[in-house]
Amino acid sequence: MNYIKELYGTRELLANLTMREVKGKYRRTVLGQLWSLINPLATMLVYTVVFSFIFRAQPRVGDPSGLDIYPLWLMSGLLPWMFFTRVVNGGMASVISNASLIKKVYFPRMHLPLAVVGSTGFTWLNEMAVLSIALLVCGGFVLPWLPIVVVVMVLLAMFASGLSMLLAVANVHFRDMQHFTTILLQMWMYLTPIIYPISLVERQAEQYGSWLLDLYRLNPMERFVSVFRELLYDNRFPDGGDFLWCVLWAFVVFALGAVVFQRNEKKLAELL
Amino acid sequence: MTEPAVVVDNVSKRFRMYAERNDSLKTALMRGRKSVAEDFWALNDISFEVPQGSTFGLVGRNGSGKSTLLKCLAKILYPDKGSIQSFGKVASLLEVGSGFHPELTGRENVFLNGSILGMSKKEVTRKFDDIVEFSGVKKFIDQPVKNYSSGMYVRLGFSVAINVDPDVLVVDEILAVGDSAFQAKCQQKFVEFREAGKTVILVTHSMANIKRMCDQAAWLDKGDLVLAGDAKTVTAAYEADIKTGDK
Repeated sequence: MNYIKELYGTRELLANLTMREVKGKYRRTVLGQLWSLINPLATMLVYTVVFSFIFRAQPRVGDPSGLDIYPLWLMSGLLPWMFFTRVVNGGMASVISNASLIKKVYFPRMHLPLAVVGSTGFTWLNEMAVLSIALLVCGGFVLPWLPIVVVVMVLLAMFASGLSMLLAVANVHFRDMQHFTTILLQMWMYLTPIIYPISLVERQAEQYGSWLLDLYRLNPMERFVSVFRELLYDNRFPDGGDFLWCVLWAFVVFALGAVVFQRNEKKLAELL
Repeated sequence: MTEPAVVVDNVSKRFRMYAERNDSLKTALMRGRKSVAEDFWALNDISFEVPQGSTFGLVGRNGSGKSTLLKCLAKILYPDKGSIQSFGKVASLLEVGSGFHPELTGRENVFLNGSILGMSKKEVTRKFDDIVEFSGVKKFIDQPVKNYSSGMYVRLGFSVAINVDPDVLVVDEILAVGDSAFQAKCQQKFVEFREAGKTVILVTHSMANIKRMCDQAAWLDKGDLVLAGDAKTVTAAYEADIKTGDK
């Protein structure tokens, strides 16, 4: 309880650390913040060419939105995923990359990974705004769903920051974690229906038994991606079960990450 | 004696010296959970009180545990035994310009550094002119700090830190910042600090500084407290010991 009070009492520090990340990142670049949009656009282009034209992945038509545009379908799932990986990678590295600060000044260390969530979230918000406009232009009816989208964004942010705090502590003990996580995240992405529709997995499950699909759906990111797609691409209420899973994952992982981080916080300066 | 500002009560701090440390997963797995460690007690059962409004000096040879104790006082390290109780807001000056981002301007960094040191935005805004005035980098305040000379950089960092206005200020050997004119300004600031009834705890190797500034002192040797009390008595004993040790 005291810790929460202290975190709240130093919230301006969190804001300033977030600002440092946001402002510092694109200083001395000609395009500035635009880079944060160019990045996902380039990824979109690559995946669209490879998976839509070459592999012919066919996502279902948006129901009831009627949208049938692969890049938009892709981005509805890819943007949340990219946010997730950036938070996990950045949050995990945040403790080590601020080692000099931790060794010299006292402040609640949790602000470091949280500032990564904040600055990455800022970029993500911009990306989602652009995506929403693109969806609107293409005939989606996304506006009434945006409040729920924001709620799910907060849930995903909680999930990602919980995981990044756990990994940040592990990374201080074993620097292998960051290399391991890179590989893990890569595999994780292909195990999540982001660039291909889940119907392909369902078809395999019909052949090999439904346990395959059950196993596949244990992946929390599958739930998040599907909820984001239902809101943004289909424009309908997300499946209640999926939504509850998202809430559950978000709260459990965040609480776990925060508790572990807070318990280990005092030892950080010594270990670094 | 007046009220204490900081009470150090039976503080011990242990460091693990790893002969072979498990800092990669491979070594941890190969060797099992145990890594080979030897305990090193950097601080051994230290107790003293720092009276409110005093300037308290920590002296001792290299490796005596001064900096470890200072870090414990600054809440960066935590004692393994005993406790440290402080009354009022504690700020530490172990390094100047902590968290400065080289690409951000001096102005942005003042706000960033200020909040890292525990100041609110309002406070920084209020003191901003003082800080800039004190640092003497007014002309360049809207330039990125990576273009600053190292002198300007430390001066700006120091000016922010000195304006934190805590009840207890913990200072490591950073008084030797900037040119002599700037140093004189810093000395003046410490005098003002003391006159305002604030407590300062500082580590320095300069006996002249201790004699001039401190009224109380503690002498540490190899993690043990040798003597604590009146600055004159402690420095005299310490200097005598150094002389005999050098023979």
